[in-house]
Amino acid sequence: MAVLEEPIKGAPMAKNYIGGEWVESKGEIIDVVNPATYETIGRVGISTKEEIDAAVKAAQEAFYDWRRTPPVARCRYLFRLGQLMEENFEELSRVQTQEHGKCIDESRGETRRGIENVEVACGIPTLMMGDSSEDIASGIDEYLIRQPLGTFGIIGPFNFPFMIPLWSAPYAVATGNTIVIKPSSEVPFSQTKLCELVEEADFPPGVWNMVHGGRTVVSGMLDHSDIEGITFVGSTPVMRDVIYPGCGNTGKRCIAQGGAANILVIMPDCNVEATIPGLMTSFFGNTGQRCLSGQTLVIVGDDDTFYREFMEKVTARAASIVVGYGLDESVQMGPVRDVKKKEKILNYIEIGMKEGATLRLDGRKATRIVGDYPDTCFLDATILEDVDPEMRIVREEIFGPTMGVIRAKNLEDAIEICNESPYHNGHAIFTSSGKYARQFQYDVISGNVGINIGIVAPMAFFPFSGMVGSFLGILHTQGKEAIRFFTESKVCIHRWF
Amino acid sequence: MKISTASETISFVKELEEKAAGFYEELSRRYPEGEDVFLSFAKENRKYFNQIQRAYYSVITDAIEGCFAFDLETDDYALNTDLPEDTSYADAVARALALEEKIIEFYDVAADQSMSLMADVPRNFKIVTRKRRDRIARLKSLV
Repeated sequence: MAVLEEPIKGAPMAKNYIGGEWVESKGEIIDVVNPATYETIGRVGISTKEEIDAAVKAAQEAFYDWRRTPPVARCRYLFRLGQLMEENFEELSRVQTQEHGKCIDESRGETRRGIENVEVACGIPTLMMGDSSEDIASGIDEYLIRQPLGTFGIIGPFNFPFMIPLWSAPYAVATGNTIVIKPSSEVPFSQTKLCELVEEADFPPGVWNMVHGGRTVVSGMLDHSDIEGITFVGSTPVMRDVIYPGCGNTGKRCIAQGGAANILVIMPDCNVEATIPGLMTSFFGNTGQRCLSGQTLVIVGDDDTFYREFMEKVTARAASIVVGYGLDESVQMGPVRDVKKKEKILNYIEIGMKEGATLRLDGRKATRIVGDYPDTCFLDATILEDVDPEMRIVREEIFGPTMGVIRAKNLEDAIEICNESPYHNGHAIFTSSGKYARQFQYDVISGNVGINIGIVAPMAFFPFSGMVGSFLGILHTQGKEAIRFFTESKVCIHRWF
Repeated sequence: MKISTASETISFVKELEEKAAGFYEELSRRYPEGEDVFLSFAKENRKYFNQIQRAYYSVITDAIEGCFAFDLETDDYALNTDLPEDTSYADAVARALALEEKIIEFYDVAADQSMSLMADVPRNFKIVTRKRRDRIARLKSLV
């Protein structure tokens, strides 16, 4: 199959989008590198405090009129945006692959998930309805209305450059707020392309803003008195040490989603043939760079024959994964985002081996890259056996294409391994038994629980949950919880004489 | 060539349907007695691809095994669209029947392999298969 055409040409500058205008940052300019070809595909500015302040000011100025725009009219802008996203579906997807490295099927999946959030937010005339109760006392009625708060900051990660800001943005603007998005500066073009569509959809200037950059922009959001709340997706240390306390210090609302080290439990009664593709996607999809990726596989039972045969199949499938540039349609696993991330993954493999794990499949050097690409950011799939729950490769987030395998005596032990993990984002079980599935769902500590699903990604109309270690806050992004987060519940009690 | 990902499978569907459409356009030029039928088949072929591509774009998400969905060998579904100058009308129709059988075989296998993974995709594969079976009856009625 041919390599699909790249959409980003001529190394463009990713500009900020402030108050409906495209503005080049006055900050330091850095290169954006395609991790597969290792070529510079564009540049982006690391915006200054003045630039984030200008974006917040534009958003604040737009808020007055925007909140007075009827919800049914606000959602028409989102309908237009959704339609434009459909019309540009392929380009949006290829931009993600070109700047991030993921396979084209994965990018299209990301685009679809992003669009679904816009579609759900289009239901805002109904979703934003309040509650009422007549005669709470004689002649007195009480009702609740949901009102927007002002301007929100949305901080996105590198691993889903298009979709993750859309877990928040459509709900924020649909409810009458205005927003400033800060994409990861490693992958600025997906949100830039989206902002072009926002502009084409004729959103009023200042409703939807975007500022590229790094820590200065994040600090500028956290410190700014005119930002009412922040949604963040990124690493657990930043979530725990920067975002959550930063929001607390300034009284902001906060949804903070951090890292993960998910555990997938295999019961001997699972449907092996159906399970293995799910494991490939879970552990090696997106090159392991997602907070719902599997990191540790727990195989339950003392049946050595089952274990041996199962691992033979898993290893054979993982060893045959086609690695290369994601715009090549035959590729099943792209590169990791950059060299530092690759080094971190390699370091964890070494740590695992030093702590006693055995290398069953060595993916440290990519040996089967399809096409003529440098191996700079590529890895093959790695599988480590004889892993212990106390090892760092179980307890710390690796964020790469690795699978550590543990054997557990029974389901109770497997659940205990899950529950003793520092992270609780998306644990899963593979079984044919309803009893085991229910016990796992009931007892496991995990914001998202998979039953025969390796990537427990909630649909747009459900919250993207997450628990201890992987999440700080109360409400989550997506769906009804996002509506609650982006609105104030105002209760009115009426009596007329 | 072995294909495994949803993306390359959809591209292969395009290749099959385009090749079949080109074949029917050639038949329509050579055999006026079947022109209307052949041209309608060519038009349908492109519609079938659009239908399947739309289903794929609608259901592909990061939660399903798009990169690991299929295990197909394209050589198993190679279409013979060569049509020597002296091919009779009956032989040309027979060639079309063979081509349809081959495409149906592909869709049947692809539908089975994507059954639990791709939601609307196998349903659309089956819809196209069903329509193609009707087409076989029409082709047989031509001679």
